[in-house]
Amino acid sequence: MNYLMNKLITFAAGFLLLSLALAWWLDARQPLAVEMIPSLSGQPEYCLTCHADLSEISSSHPVEVFGCVSCHGGERLALDADLAHSTMRGGANPSDLSVVESSCGGSNCHSGSEAEGRDHIQRVMTSIQSTYAGAIASIRYTFGAQLDLNPIFGIKPIIDAQTRTGITALGAFDPASESHPSIQQFGENCLTCHLNADPLEGSAYARQTGCAACHSTAGHTFTTAIPYTQCNTCHNRGNYDLRTMNFVERGDQPVKRIDDYYQPIAQFTQCEYTLDCVDCHTRKEAMGDGDIHANQKDIEYVQCKTCHGTPTEAPLTKTLTDPDELAFRLALLNPVVDLQIGDTILISEQGEPFWNVRHLPDGSFEMVGKVTRQYFTFRPVMESGCTQSGEDQSSAYCHGCHAVE
Amino acid sequence: MSDLSRNGFLKLVRGGFLWLSAALGLGGLLRFLNYDPNPAPQSEFDLGPATNFPLGTRTGIADGQFVLIHDELGLRAINTTCTHLGCQTAPGPDGFTCPCHGSHFDLRGDVLQGPAAKALNVPSVELNDGGHLILHD
Repeated sequence: MNYLMNKLITFAAGFLLLSLALAWWLDARQPLAVEMIPSLSGQPEYCLTCHADLSEISSSHPVEVFGCVSCHGGERLALDADLAHSTMRGGANPSDLSVVESSCGGSNCHSGSEAEGRDHIQRVMTSIQSTYAGAIASIRYTFGAQLDLNPIFGIKPIIDAQTRTGITALGAFDPASESHPSIQQFGENCLTCHLNADPLEGSAYARQTGCAACHSTAGHTFTTAIPYTQCNTCHNRGNYDLRTMNFVERGDQPVKRIDDYYQPIAQFTQCEYTLDCVDCHTRKEAMGDGDIHANQKDIEYVQCKTCHGTPTEAPLTKTLTDPDELAFRLALLNPVVDLQIGDTILISEQGEPFWNVRHLPDGSFEMVGKVTRQYFTFRPVMESGCTQSGEDQSSAYCHGCHAVE
Repeated sequence: MSDLSRNGFLKLVRGGFLWLSAALGLGGLLRFLNYDPNPAPQSEFDLGPATNFPLGTRTGIADGQFVLIHDELGLRAINTTCTHLGCQTAPGPDGFTCPCHGSHFDLRGDVLQGPAAKALNVPSVELNDGGHLILHD
């Protein structure tokens, strides 16, 4: 009995030792933790243990300042991948609009003051690229579900109590509650181009959701130098067939931009197919101005005359005198020009700076491509032989003489 | 082999197992107790003899986290961490510039240009009995 008990206790001691040795061995197999203490949180994170090879998101978001958890969430001290990722916001994309306020918001970041233009999230949430309100209203009106083109629904419910457009709120569009089959089909097949939606399959549509849909053009990076190819992951990809309510993809391949990328029925001037979209279209047009708009046309206001003026009016300009000017901030984010106090730049009718277009002493303008960094110079229409009426300045009139064959 | 010698052998093995288990367990316990997931950052820096910082010098300290300036206004340290989001500002001839979001500060640390709203922190610097400058952040 005594011998048996001894054997049993010895076996238990051996089992204990084996268990402890196993625990040490498993622990030793864990990767050596790489600690980082970002200055923003002051709390250690071990994310770089596995993700040291990721590129920095942008020069405005250095990893030693932001770390990973401030934006992505997750378990900062976990070394097990599943546990570390279990509480991440938006999967691999914290800028998805469902989580963007937690990831990118805050008064010091992208939910700042409207007066300083730092209310990026509010503007995007109410923007037409997010609400898709114009398309929804148009289809519902077309098939008799509403009496006019005033928007009632967006992709997500949204409220704008301080609206300047008269549209104070949108309800959530629910295709299942629509009675007309075409509207139901629209809901099923045609809601792939707004910022909340995952894109269609295929490399031509490859983009992320939320802020990253436009600002992330490759890998783990964010940029304001957005090439036209990124815009074309939604735009110029095809047309909707209103009879079948299906998206009909373009069959041609983007080889030569003027011939193949744009819709073949339209006309374009040289700048429209040479520059990138962001060279002319402003942040308010693309990201919204904080108000809910009825359709895309209501928020697009840049025209040929914005840069070129008319036969009777020079384009609007502004001389930079305050180092706090928005123009300097935007130039810092994408330093394609060395903007200086005293420089005169082009501005839009709404006062938005074209910080990459400077007025030169000889009266001409110099534009630097935000993506290509190419230099372009142009003279205002006022000094040319153009006889176009100052009242008729929509692009169709300019295309009459200046469209490329 | 007799029962007694068998028992003796088992006792020896058991003792070895238990001592090794205790060592492993104790090692693990010490490792656990010594781990500090939120270590306090260093808040005091011995900058060396004050004579190392004559009038007209600007010296980076702690990998540039602080700059010790000795000019006609006196001797002072400035924490170069931007008060907006915590990027490390770059010192220039007229002050400090944040490379992340463009805030500018003068040589006293006061804001010249946002988005930062607060001046750079100015830690205290004192001379100890040994003639060394001690920076307290």
